[in-house]
Amino acid sequence: MKRISIDPITRLEGHGKIEIFLNEEGEVANTYFQVPELRGFEQFCVGRAAEEMPRITQRICGVCPEAHHMASTKTLDALFHVDPPSAAKKLREMFYSAFYCADHTVHFYALGAPDFVVGPEAPAAERNILGVIHKVGVDIGKQVIACRHRNHHVIEMVGGRGVHPVAGLPGGWSKAITEEERQEIEAIAKENIDFALFSLKIFEDVVLGNQGYVDLILSDAYTHQVYYMGTVDENNHVNFYDGMIRVVDPEGKEFAKYHPSEYREHIAEHVESWSYLKFPYLKKIGWKGLVDGKDSGVYCATPLSRLNASDGMATPKAQEAFEKMYETLGSKKVNGRYQPVHHTLAAHWARLVELLYAAERMVELITDKEITDPNVRTPITEKPDEGVGCVEAPRGTLTHHYWSDDNGILTKVNLIVGTTNNNAPISMSVKSAAKGLIHKGTVVTEGLLNKVEMAFRSYDPCYACATHSLPGQMPLEVVIRDADGAVTETLRQNC
Amino acid sequence: MASRKTLVVGLGNPILGDDGVGWTVAEAVRRELNGSDVEVACLSVGGVRLMERLVGYDRVIIIDSMYGGGGEVGTVTCFPIEQLPNPSAGHTSSAHDTSLFTALETGRAMGVDLPDEIEVVAIESQKVHDFSETFTPPVAGAIPQATRVVCQLLSQQTPEGREL
Repeated sequence: MKRISIDPITRLEGHGKIEIFLNEEGEVANTYFQVPELRGFEQFCVGRAAEEMPRITQRICGVCPEAHHMASTKTLDALFHVDPPSAAKKLREMFYSAFYCADHTVHFYALGAPDFVVGPEAPAAERNILGVIHKVGVDIGKQVIACRHRNHHVIEMVGGRGVHPVAGLPGGWSKAITEEERQEIEAIAKENIDFALFSLKIFEDVVLGNQGYVDLILSDAYTHQVYYMGTVDENNHVNFYDGMIRVVDPEGKEFAKYHPSEYREHIAEHVESWSYLKFPYLKKIGWKGLVDGKDSGVYCATPLSRLNASDGMATPKAQEAFEKMYETLGSKKVNGRYQPVHHTLAAHWARLVELLYAAERMVELITDKEITDPNVRTPITEKPDEGVGCVEAPRGTLTHHYWSDDNGILTKVNLIVGTTNNNAPISMSVKSAAKGLIHKGTVVTEGLLNKVEMAFRSYDPCYACATHSLPGQMPLEVVIRDADGAVTETLRQNC
Repeated sequence: MASRKTLVVGLGNPILGDDGVGWTVAEAVRRELNGSDVEVACLSVGGVRLMERLVGYDRVIIIDSMYGGGGEVGTVTCFPIEQLPNPSAGHTSSAHDTSLFTALETGRAMGVDLPDEIEVVAIESQKVHDFSETFTPPVAGAIPQATRVVCQLLSQQTPEGREL
């Protein structure tokens, strides 16, 4: 097969693009997935005051500004060498749990459920949240909206503003909560548990109750054996707010566990000439290409990865749901922990297990005796220099790294957003999905876009989602090339 | 003029160059309105989150940058939201949940109190993928016109779809 180089400058501005390269036999040889990237963030930040970052970075994401706000706030803790009081950490984590309850809910019903509840063969126009509501009923739709509404209320109450919170400060949080607010939030957190259990039940009834869907989840087209990354607490249980970064190998053995500030010793970025996307990989294994297996440094950071990298969930109902998921998907226990599940579509299930954990954790924190403590800030006494802050964004481990001068003016900035961790596995998943539909140069066009969509949608990837320009749709183009690099077919969606 | 609860939404990202023009126009409209009971909000959300913000209003005007709309950069267009291109309700394209169009339909299907009139004022833009707090000259030049268009719409009863 001829070596073809794609000039990244020729990419279509604002388009998502999938390039599928066929070999001489007309089978899929390589697949590359690209999305529009936002440029110049570092230059934009250098020269600004570090304390502006929690406000600035939350503008990167249209959907998880709270995640950036939190990662940035923690980075400021590290940059200014200040440790928040215990009450502030609990308040931050409680706030963050409310965010997860709102975020994971909408993504299950708008992103995951459409594939299963409406069905992967249904027309695109029905495979969305509206299609789900039509199938499961308006009442459930109302509950989804109600869940988001009550959690957004908590976010606004505790974060100081809706959507884009302002309360994060180096060394703590800008305001404590009153007993009255605490009681209101406790009621909301308990409703969250009920709704999470309810959503898991829907998944079980509709998805697991349908053999076709179970086969789909377990199919080779959606299976990859890679390393898995997630944040864990001191008991190796999943934690979204804080902990150590843990990586397990495809067989489930712990490969690395490190403090977020050490990420550069473990993660390197591979650059390909045909793409402007960077491919993070495990440095100590090395880059072997877009391939599976223990010898490949490719890793994944998704809800499924987090569960795979952990020894379980820290709260009882979520732990029960965790065990049920692993048992159902045929995972065996080795040395006391479940072996990883390699079926990427299971991320939708993992997301619901996490939703239940977020709700239970929210109740734990809001009923903690310290949660209304007025002391939520430690004053800064040291000069800033460098700091790393990490949280689990809903779509993967999020890392912020700032360098500043003595006055806290930024000199350098590095961000690894959730989806960036998954650039390599996404391309691999898209390849597997495409392989099933392209043989001997013949493309089954109907269904190709859908199957490929399902592959990358399970990663819930960030598509330059900081931009809001109309028409508000990201066009997607799939280009199929023969062994000489000539385009044989182009499929388009929204463009 | 009927007193319908009206919201003007400047939509965009203020640190992403031309993408943030909706906010600037909304702020200019706010200054023009000076004490009227029309509310003005600057938002950076889409999909379900944006739909949720529109609950309880009778009429909404959304101001946003348009990318790839086909017109010359700096062109101001105005149309009802039903004319917004939504070729497939497929959700590859809306980052993490769904398009505004689908979110609105979903909300309506659930009996959520959403506006019956949503108009869009769009400014064709150029640079929306680079972090910046400044606009390209044609987009900056379109701000006064876009502001006038919104103010005119507010004094009208029915939306019209036409290029101005």
